[in-house]
Amino acid sequence: MALIEINGLKKSFGNLEVLKNVSFQVEKGDVVAVLGASGSGKSTLLRSLINLEQIDGGSVCIDSEYLIKDGKYAPSAKIRKITSEMGMVFQNFNLFPHLTVRQNLEMPAKFAKILSDSELTQKADALLKKVGLSDKADVKPSKLSGGQQQRVAIARALMLNPTIMLFDEPTSALDPQLTGEVLSTMRQLAEEHMTMIVVTHEMGFARDVANKIIFMSDGEIVETAPPHEFFANPKYKKAREFLSMALD
Amino acid sequence: MQYIFNIFMTLLEGAKTASILFIVVILLSLPLGFLFTLMARSSIAPIRWFANAYIYILRGTPLLLQLIFIFFGVPYLPVIGKYLVFERFTAALIGFVLNYAAYFAEIFRGGLLAVDKGQYEAAKVLGMSRFKTTVFVILPQMIRVALPSVTNEAVSLVKDTSLLYAVAVPEIIHYATGIVNRDFNVTAFAVAAAIYLVMNTLLSFLFKKLEKKLEY
Ligand SMILES: Nc1ncnc2c1ncn2[C@@H]1O[C@H](COP(=O)(O)OP(=O)(O)O)[C@@H](O)[C@H]1O
Ligand SMILES: [Mg+2]
Repeated sequence: MALIEINGLKKSFGNLEVLKNVSFQVEKGDVVAVLGASGSGKSTLLRSLINLEQIDGGSVCIDSEYLIKDGKYAPSAKIRKITSEMGMVFQNFNLFPHLTVRQNLEMPAKFAKILSDSELTQKADALLKKVGLSDKADVKPSKLSGGQQQRVAIARALMLNPTIMLFDEPTSALDPQLTGEVLSTMRQLAEEHMTMIVVTHEMGFARDVANKIIFMSDGEIVETAPPHEFFANPKYKKAREFLSMALD
Repeated sequence: MQYIFNIFMTLLEGAKTASILFIVVILLSLPLGFLFTLMARSSIAPIRWFANAYIYILRGTPLLLQLIFIFFGVPYLPVIGKYLVFERFTAALIGFVLNYAAYFAEIFRGGLLAVDKGQYEAAKVLGMSRFKTTVFVILPQMIRVALPSVTNEAVSLVKDTSLLYAVAVPEIIHYATGIVNRDFNVTAFAVAAAIYLVMNTLLSFLFKKLEKKLEY
């Protein structure tokens, strides 16, 4: 069984069908880039996996446990357990503005009761070092650039030892000169074999770092391919149009 | 000068009563107000209705009427009235707390709307419970947004303490009026005004400091 198995996922907002029968699999260590035009359902798909959206039908199975089986959700304790295997990074960072960088990292992990206080401090230090922000531990997020904030958000998610990381357009809110630092942090995670699903408009990242491309259009996955195939020779017209827009 | 000092010392007695009222009301009505804010957002409709009706009525009618009702009116209520006879000061205290809670509930409601939806989502995907999210993520941000309005209400409360006069609890104006009637001299009113101004200036200063502290 694959690490993530999604079958026949359906989701509507009112009359608008946002996900129509979406199915795909993610293997352990995969880096999946989800591409597609704005409004095609990429965020909704990602958010459904981590229970930020309530879906209407289909199955989501993560690490052999069903979050949703044929449209029926697991009991809430089990939902919490399954979603705790995933970390999520948002377009707008969503750091807690009233807390310092260190507190942002330590507070959720403290509540999760997975580490002792001294281990918390050590782990936060190690992760801040990893994302290159050791000197910013005691400042508030507002004192950081967007790129630095997003790296803190990544570190915060990693504090909880997720096996899967979800990224929803992590660089879309950043000035172009700041995207590189975030992408290189993500690239580093990929090199460490973190399983990642990344919604992105960064074609360079998708081509060089991902090992699987999912292309969405109007709530459907219309193409799944390894990046060299997808970029050299997209099969579907929609994907060709999207690429010609994105790459020029 | 000696005359003014004597007046001041007398009015200080009233200021003490007003200050005690102020402090107790602030300490009780802020949490009660937040409770009403949460109730007004409850997923259980009757709780929501109750909280909204409460806020609507208490904000829409005069505090003076509410105070008089609690002290003079409530004891006449059938069945329960006879258990609800309060001392003057206690009655006033209850009235003030209930009234200010409604105002604070409304302020907090606005403060909550100002907290980004992404904050709830981040807390959720980080595994935080709803209670912990409310207390450690939402509340601190809500307070920062609401603080300037809370300051305004606190300033109003200092002035509203004069309504104790209506239920005959001796406060600043009570003593001032006594002196004016005794001496046929209005100096006492000026001293009373000065005391209110000093209290409010002090209060605004403290709240400004608090605002600075909560900045991010
Ligand atoms: N909470 C919501 N309520 C109503 N419509 C929504 C909501 N969230 C997203 N949508 C709609 O669903 C569609 C897909 O949205 P989304 O998943 O955010 O797309 P993408 O991330 O690919 O841009 C869009 O048409 C969007 O307007
Ligand atoms: Mg999106």
